[in-house]
Amino acid sequence: MNKKLQRKIMPYIWLLPSIALMAIFVIFPIMIVFKLSVSEVSKAGIVGGFVGLKNFKDAIALPAFKTVMLNTLYWVISVVGLSTVLGFIIAMVLNQKFHGRKIARAILVLPWATSLVIQASVWNYIIKYEYGNLNNILLNLGIIKEAINWRASYQIEFIWECGVGIFVTIPFVAFCVLSGLQSIDNSLYEAADIDGATFWDKLWRITVPLVKPSLTVSTVLNIIYVFNSFPIIYTMTKGAPSNKTDTLVTYLYMLNFYDRQKGPATALSVIGFLVLCLCAGIYMVGVMRKEEDL
Amino acid sequence: MNTPESIAKKNRAALALLLVAFVLAGILLSLPTYTFTSSLYTKKSANTFVGDEKYQEVRTEVEQVLEQYRQDGLSVELRENVTERTNSKGKTTSMVAFSIDQEFTKNGWSFLGSGLPSAWVLTGMIVCLAMAVACALAGTLGSMRDACRDLDGRAIAFRSAAMYLTLIALVLVPVFFMTNTYALSRRVGLYTAETITAGKDAFFAQMDNFLFDGQAGESIGDMLAGLSFKNTGLTWLMLPCVAAMLIAAIQLRRGAITHTLVRGLMYAFVIVLCLFILYPYYVMLVTGFRSSAETNDMYFLHIFPTEWQFSNLKGIIDRGVLRYLLNSLLIAGGATVIALLCGIPAAYAMARMKFKGKNVFLGFVIVSQMFSPVVLLIGIAQLMSALHLNDSILGLMLINAAFNQAFAIWLLRGTFVSISPEMEQASRIDGCTVMGSLIRVLLPMAAPGIVTTLIFVFINAWNEYTISTVLISTAANRPITVGITQFSSFNMIEWHNLFAASLLATIPVVILFMCIEKHLTSGLTAGGVKG
Repeated sequence: MNKKLQRKIMPYIWLLPSIALMAIFVIFPIMIVFKLSVSEVSKAGIVGGFVGLKNFKDAIALPAFKTVMLNTLYWVISVVGLSTVLGFIIAMVLNQKFHGRKIARAILVLPWATSLVIQASVWNYIIKYEYGNLNNILLNLGIIKEAINWRASYQIEFIWECGVGIFVTIPFVAFCVLSGLQSIDNSLYEAADIDGATFWDKLWRITVPLVKPSLTVSTVLNIIYVFNSFPIIYTMTKGAPSNKTDTLVTYLYMLNFYDRQKGPATALSVIGFLVLCLCAGIYMVGVMRKEEDL
Repeated sequence: MNTPESIAKKNRAALALLLVAFVLAGILLSLPTYTFTSSLYTKKSANTFVGDEKYQEVRTEVEQVLEQYRQDGLSVELRENVTERTNSKGKTTSMVAFSIDQEFTKNGWSFLGSGLPSAWVLTGMIVCLAMAVACALAGTLGSMRDACRDLDGRAIAFRSAAMYLTLIALVLVPVFFMTNTYALSRRVGLYTAETITAGKDAFFAQMDNFLFDGQAGESIGDMLAGLSFKNTGLTWLMLPCVAAMLIAAIQLRRGAITHTLVRGLMYAFVIVLCLFILYPYYVMLVTGFRSSAETNDMYFLHIFPTEWQFSNLKGIIDRGVLRYLLNSLLIAGGATVIALLCGIPAAYAMARMKFKGKNVFLGFVIVSQMFSPVVLLIGIAQLMSALHLNDSILGLMLINAAFNQAFAIWLLRGTFVSISPEMEQASRIDGCTVMGSLIRVLLPMAAPGIVTTLIFVFINAWNEYTISTVLISTAANRPITVGITQFSSFNMIEWHNLFAASLLATIPVVILFMCIEKHLTSGLTAGGVKG
């Protein structure tokens, strides 16, 4: 009897440290954020009584709210979309057999392994107008005759930020797709060759359907990573001018820790969290469906 | 069609085309490529009409100077330039400008050894072409006359080499043109207009040797100021020549031309991609070792620092970078240990045991993989100050461990599932406890997966920035990612220090990541993807 009980309880004991760690440092903050979002919070961070949805109303009424939301949307769509397409192409190329493939793959890992704040600083320097390295190189190669202002307006700066986002996201997508490509049985392509299939036939009928699961996973994870990406924008523009290049996370950071508008900031946090939960839910459904397939 | 004879014939034709085009390219290089004009003397005379008294006077004076130059043995030429203008009162004025110009043409070969940037390009191009011809010859030997359907690997390698070498030469032709026209005129313009010291003297000496056979000496600055030059266009004729060589080389390379071109494009793509990815790291490297004045110099012209400032490293170490690196090591190391200590039992339970709520926990782990700490920043900050863990390294360890927990469990569970449980069962029969069989049997077998997880968590924690920047306020507790931001304030960014410190922060993780690169794809499949 005792042994049976032990066997029943055993797995939970094994799980306990992990659950405790996540409960304290993941679940607790979530609860705190939710509680703060419906409470009155003073500038010093002192929590008052229940105020209902006032913080959410305040957040939506903020002048920069619409810009920030639109920016977040552009940011996520452009970075995730383009890096998925480019990462897919790169993975296709790196899946071929050629000399130096190992080196190329090792190089591809670099942006993934580098801290975002460092990558963003480097690109921030590269595109400086007065002494940036891009102008220096192009002038040296004789491609341009005089220095170009690469960050003439905030729209262009935002595009650069998206570009850096894409640059650092590509390796993750490429490696996810590569892992999918490597699991494809080569005999499928040989059979298609015998049937006289063209390159595009093989791409759309064999490669894409079989890589789709890894592509879905990488896309969903990317949406979440990119949505939460903070250092690129914070390092390159700090959201300037007047929050025109902010996304949700940089904006809520500034709002909470600089402007001391803690109420609306927590409300934004909750909004962001719910958006992420939605993504997570879609991902869960996808994973479950795949489990059923297996 | 593809009889041995026809292939041999094709080989002969291709080789002949290759050689003819090579010789033609050589001849083109001997033709005048550039015309340089340098004004040695100018004289302007206002209110002067061609043929009047003043004109005659000035002209005689100029002709005397001209005679002197001729006596010095220079081939000079007198030019006069008349500008006529009608002013508002309807009166016509005229100005005559005389100049004594020295004109000389230079052919391709004379660029070699001049030390100018275009000389290096040209040398590279010629070497490529010559090597391509040599490779083509070596790869065609024996296949000129008879059966050559099945070339041995060496011949194919030689022929491929010939093809790629000519491809490189083909690309270098426009580069040569560009470095001459744009880069040269820009350098001349910059160096004569501004007082820039770096590289100026060397460049002037090179130009003196190249244009004036070292005769200009002190006056080289003035002579370059009046320099103009134009391309005669013959350089561009090199393009069809080299293109013909390329076609011949492709013909020699047996097999479909499209296949070869696709391969070439693929290599080009990969090379461009790699260069693009490496570019920021190159910038980091060269900027990190420049002096502070050079990083902010608008006219800094060099690809590499003029002097590698290794003292930058000492400078940043004096400002506490080693302390930050140590903090990062502690945080990332601690987070990894905690994440694995909590993660391994959980992953083991998930992989080997049956219990109620397993699927709930599975779902929870998947979902918690989604929660990035950034959106929960405010909550985390509150929690940590309540626990008195804000501004402490221990707090960052725990947070990093917690947010990497899901990923660690995923990777480890995938590894454990892929190992058959028979060995453990056998050890259990031999009297091992569950713990014993886990430590003695499973963990050694799962070592590669564990190492991958370990490195992954380590890197994530090492690179973490946002939480640290919120939680840490004491300088001595900063990890390196936050520490490097002290070099960039709102009004002044010390780029050289910033990038020297960035290099120190990047190198260890990059090396670690390269170690697990091989397992990366399998790790992702096991963890995230196979979910």
